[in-house]
Amino acid sequence: MSLKKKINLFSFRSILEENVIISYKGPFDRHILFVIGDYIKTTIGKNSKASKKIFNIFIELAQNISYYSAEINKLDEKKEIGVGTLVIGDHKNYYTFRTGNVVKKNDIIPIINKCELINSLDRDSLRKFKREQRALPPSENDGAHIGLIKVALTSSNPLDFQITNIDDDFSYFSISVKINK
Amino acid sequence: MESLKIEGSHGAFFVPFVDFNANSGRCELSGESYLENTSEFYDKLLEWLETYMENIKKPIYFNIKLTYFNTSSSRAILDILNLLKSYEDDGGQIRVNWYYEEDDLDMEEEIEDYIFDTDLDINKKAF
Repeated sequence: MSLKKKINLFSFRSILEENVIISYKGPFDRHILFVIGDYIKTTIGKNSKASKKIFNIFIELAQNISYYSAEINKLDEKKEIGVGTLVIGDHKNYYTFRTGNVVKKNDIIPIINKCELINSLDRDSLRKFKREQRALPPSENDGAHIGLIKVALTSSNPLDFQITNIDDDFSYFSISVKINK
Repeated sequence: MESLKIEGSHGAFFVPFVDFNANSGRCELSGESYLENTSEFYDKLLEWLETYMENIKKPIYFNIKLTYFNTSSSRAILDILNLLKSYEDDGGQIRVNWYYEEDDLDMEEEIEDYIFDTDLDINKKAF
């Protein structure tokens, strides 16, 4: 197998913001998640309110990727683990937490609708929405949705999301949230 | 009836510490909750409480000191609180204390949402 093209990591470096503290692309496997989670708790923000919030957001968005990403890693033959990208940025007054993953075209509309609905609600309505989703029996609720509601509540900022076309079957879903320091 | 004790652990997943005492009715759930199989874990707790309610029928003092739980754990916690509420509605005596770090406004809000959802008299205790 020959490489399609040479990869120069310099171009990867230049598209990331200067103040990135973690960037990761690969399977959202529990061993990797443990290390990143531990780093967030102990090192980023040193157990401050912000680090708690980042950790909360990290768990929900990482779980969404490991369960729902359309890009699958088959390193472990017994398990299918979702692949995605995660980038944490450190700014003067806030942190940014971004994740991205491949999604099937059919799943795009429900995701957009959910994010737009979440962004249209004030905090009290969002809490009510979370309670409604939580009270639904497991067969009727979608874990990814309550996770996104929790992310919006924890960050206290809108979900900044983008969809990019890949081909006829797949798109790329990118989400970014801001966590105030 | 036997007491239920689970030592919490911190690895790739977080298992909360559980100490449900069949003699005193004191039940503690603390630490962090992020599990590989959430319902399997919490079903044990629910079963223990149901057995206590059916057989021992004494007061339950339920203390929660969770500093973190993910959204799937939050559903299971709702099931526990609903069960305690139904025990109370059927004449059982309960007291629920929920301890949280004073500056953790997100956790305080979670407790308020549980009070709203369950109509249970949860004592919020900041520390």
